[in-house]
Amino acid sequence: MKKFKYFIFDSLLWFYTVLSIYKVIYQKLILGVRYLEYGNQDFLISLGAGIILALFFSNLRNYSILNGFSKKQDTSLLKRPYFILFLFILFITFINGVHFSQLSLKEFFSQTGIEGAQRIFLALLQPNFSILGESLSAAVETIFMAFMATTLAIPFSFLLSFVAAKNLTRGSFFFKSVYSIARFFLNATRSIEPLVWAIIFSVWVGIGPFSGMLALCLHSIASLSKLYSEQIENIDEGPLDAIRSTGAHPIQVVWFGVVPQILLPFLSFTIYRWDINVRMATVIGLVGGGGIGTMLMQYQGTARWNEVGMLIIIIALIVWAMDATSSKIREKIK
Amino acid sequence: MLKITNLHKTYPNGVVALKDINIEVKEKEFLVVIGLSGSGKSTLLKCINKLHHITSGKVFFKGQEISSLGGSQMRAIQARMGMIFQHFNLIERKSALTNVLTGALHQTSVIKSILELFSDEQKEKALEMLDIVGLKNKAHQRVDNLSGGQKQRVAIARALMQSPSVLLADEPVASLDPATSHSIMDYLRKVNEELGVTIVCNLHFLSLVREYATRVIALKDGELIFEGSPEKIDEEWFKKIYGEKAKEVFIK
Repeated sequence: MKKFKYFIFDSLLWFYTVLSIYKVIYQKLILGVRYLEYGNQDFLISLGAGIILALFFSNLRNYSILNGFSKKQDTSLLKRPYFILFLFILFITFINGVHFSQLSLKEFFSQTGIEGAQRIFLALLQPNFSILGESLSAAVETIFMAFMATTLAIPFSFLLSFVAAKNLTRGSFFFKSVYSIARFFLNATRSIEPLVWAIIFSVWVGIGPFSGMLALCLHSIASLSKLYSEQIENIDEGPLDAIRSTGAHPIQVVWFGVVPQILLPFLSFTIYRWDINVRMATVIGLVGGGGIGTMLMQYQGTARWNEVGMLIIIIALIVWAMDATSSKIREKIK
Repeated sequence: MLKITNLHKTYPNGVVALKDINIEVKEKEFLVVIGLSGSGKSTLLKCINKLHHITSGKVFFKGQEISSLGGSQMRAIQARMGMIFQHFNLIERKSALTNVLTGALHQTSVIKSILELFSDEQKEKALEMLDIVGLKNKAHQRVDNLSGGQKQRVAIARALMQSPSVLLADEPVASLDPATSHSIMDYLRKVNEELGVTIVCNLHFLSLVREYATRVIALKDGELIFEGSPEKIDEEWFKKIYGEKAKEVFIK
């Protein structure tokens, strides 16, 4: 079974190598084809070649590319089997990267491009102060959106973090399953970007600060619970034993054994989270989450760069202020 | 008062900590458990007050079989046994008084204790317990401002708050200096002689054992290999308990 897995891995690696050499290096760089097209037969031929190469090489020295990396052999790097191949694959991966990200110095330094950028930068440097009041009220909206998202997330995260901490849930089968479900929920929620949540919620409750707030809140619950529960996992378990040995109820054990140890780190994480939420709220505004982000989106869409410049200044000020305050507070309560 | 029969303890990772232990602890005695680190001393204490589950065997407390108890019945038994630890295990951010009051958690409802609504009698009793260990004047200080010896005394007061009939002491002086060690042991003796609390104590230093114990048992690799008065531990027994190459260290 292990051998089969290794064989699959080898074949895929060879397949990738062959395909990259054929398409990117041969067709693009050597033949200079403008637009690469990937036909079915390209994949089939490369896959076939990959399998044949994998079969040939794994039988040659009787081990796969994967064992080539194992540290058991006490030989120098260069003498290790497949090391050269590994370097080569790294090299063609870099070439692939350049190709797929369409990296181009010509575009970067093109005359018309630079002129366009100049126009925007000049406008940004001459912000339109007549929209100051309007944009400040949007900024206030953004800050409170972040504040509400953080505040509403606290009680949920606090409760969730206890069931998502391994050291408190190893007692019975019931608690172990609660732990797994909680962890799964948190990871699933966290793996979806708040931007995506904002789109979902803007359909659900309509475009505006409320949908942005919900998106931030959901994401905050997931990240705060994770941070909180990691803090719980790191506590000193001595006091827990001591409280338990007095015949205390499990809730009392958590309240007196765990909570005093985690309160300050929790506070620190929460303030940091609010700071992050303010920055994220701006981005979320771009997809209709309300606040200064939505305003930015509207002016940017109509190419009114002087107004955009005004908004950018305000956003930079907010981010700087939040960052400074939150780090000061977190330092003080340590 | 405590009777342990055929006690076995195997940890979930397969380590066998205790093998077929049979002990009887008599009322009001000062029983000391000795043995190398890893010989199962701590495990034994934690099996007695059910911090650890017992793999097989029975523990009797005042004639009642307690090893099979669970839930609130188990907690009622735990409340009658005090315990102190090598690292004190106090709530560092709370005052000495609050720490002592946690000894009364079993008598306090969950809601009241979460709001820290301890009754006046409980507070008075906690102050009394702090007085016994000579720390009444530190009652409102945060525990993290106290010295190691003072912390252990707060821990003793917390255990006394339970009005225990037995006090389990897991290496109570292992992280203290020699002079403080003696003072803590003196407090334990006071608790034993004046309050009539039975004491089961794990110790490292034989000189302390000879001074304070009324009876000694020794564990080696999870087995009981010695039981008797402290005077009976001669050179030969010492080598049996601690190994051929061991040398006795004296603490004065």
